[in-house]
Amino acid sequence: MIRIENLTHKYKSRKEEAIKDINLHIKRGESVVLIGSSGSGKSTLLRCINRLVEPDSGKIYVDGRDIANCPITEAQKIRSNIGMIFQHFNLLERETVFKNVLNGRLSHVSTLKTIFGRFSKEDYEIVRDSLKRVGLEEYKNERVANLSGGQKQRVAIARTLSQKPKIILADEPVSALDPKLMKEVMDLLKNICDEKGITLVSSLHFLDFAKRYSTRMIGIRDGRIVFDDKPEELNEKNIVDIYGKTKDWYMYGKLGF
Amino acid sequence: MEIKKLKLSKKYKKLLIGILIVIIYYWALGGTETSPTNFAKGFPFMVDFVGRMFPPDISNLDRFLLKAIETLQMAIVGSSLGALIAFPLSFLAARNIMPNKIIYHAVRGLFDTLRGINEIVWGLIFVSMVGLGPFPGVLALAAHVTGALGRYFSEAIETVNPEVIKAIVSTGANKIQIVIRGIFPEVKPLFVNYALYYLENNFRAATVLGLVGAGGIGMELITSMRLFKAREVLTILIIMVLMVAMIDRFSAYLRKKIVSIEVVE
Repeated sequence: MIRIENLTHKYKSRKEEAIKDINLHIKRGESVVLIGSSGSGKSTLLRCINRLVEPDSGKIYVDGRDIANCPITEAQKIRSNIGMIFQHFNLLERETVFKNVLNGRLSHVSTLKTIFGRFSKEDYEIVRDSLKRVGLEEYKNERVANLSGGQKQRVAIARTLSQKPKIILADEPVSALDPKLMKEVMDLLKNICDEKGITLVSSLHFLDFAKRYSTRMIGIRDGRIVFDDKPEELNEKNIVDIYGKTKDWYMYGKLGF
Repeated sequence: MEIKKLKLSKKYKKLLIGILIVIIYYWALGGTETSPTNFAKGFPFMVDFVGRMFPPDISNLDRFLLKAIETLQMAIVGSSLGALIAFPLSFLAARNIMPNKIIYHAVRGLFDTLRGINEIVWGLIFVSMVGLGPFPGVLALAAHVTGALGRYFSEAIETVNPEVIKAIVSTGANKIQIVIRGIFPEVKPLFVNYALYYLENNFRAATVLGLVGAGGIGMELITSMRLFKAREVLTILIIMVLMVAMIDRFSAYLRKKIVSIEVVE
């Protein structure tokens, strides 16, 4: 499904590479969770997969097509199969829930029809189904700004769902929510992916969460993969490898056990 | 060689700034002959003039009202034309969506030039180009507003949260779709506000464009002034004030109406 070869990226503003020589193969239907301290490179890796971050070198094959080294129009086509969930939801706050979710259909609408706001009946149907799936049908005409954090993330999930994606990338999807909602939203996301056979790649901060929602865990430290195995195999030593004996190890590592 | 930093105590700094301010005012007041004695000398004439303004002369009211309506028409057409030109151009002058530096600077430069020249000056230019009347006035307003709105629109576009744009990018949308569905909704309320503000502004500007022959009620004002018809001047001033107040109310109402949401079944 996703094959990453020798992927390296450095931000202009920083000295060190954010990710260095990453090689990774993710199979269809897997639920991969990336763990690691803030700034370890999880987010950069995720954002390279749909080319929100333009990698310096390396190849990223999504369903056999290299998204990292193709024309941007081709990348747009590949992106339409990849949904993305963000930590801060990234919704249009002043617009309605419905209009936000409708944006998930953009890759299926021509530019001219977008200008005049002419989405097809099928698009509307898909948006309705997506909203139903996340339990927000009654909120379709509500402004996003009036919703709670948990509801906002569900709108974002609905937007992604209406893309009918094969892959969902979730960049810290629950970090901005309070603990009770964290579980609710994560359950929803995981269940949807299981139902529809969507490959899920997420980054999560808390280890117990990472274990519960993954079929495979990948630990990243300073831009390199230092752990890659089933969640059951993760032990105390690995955790120190991933986080180092730092504040993060104490905060996220200890908390999970 | 070691240079010692001149460290003034706070007290001296304040004193120095104080002296500087006094000097600036002395210089500016002197240059403009502004003084209490000049004011006192002129005061009787002011009283006399104001006295001669009453009661307002309404014998030519219908003509003034027609000109006031023309002024409003100029403001509406000029503002709309300016906003229509500024809208598409502003996207070319926003750093976050215009990768080409040359186009970005060229459009920014155009905006600054258009905006840097006052409506009255544009009026003079267009009157000599297309002759007297409201049409050069409309062009003058449009020219200035294109520059001003273009600048504000493009700055509004630059303040859109890049993460929100990324969410639209991640759906596989193309560039135009990203602008229409991701950026435009975020800037729409600001655009409406700016455009309506310039409608108000343009009415006020249009009232003086007549002074250079570019149409509107300003033409009547300067004619009455030149013929020393102080009572007519007062009538015209009253019409101006009332119309400005009306337009301010109207645009406040529009602001509320336009920024509302679409509902689906």
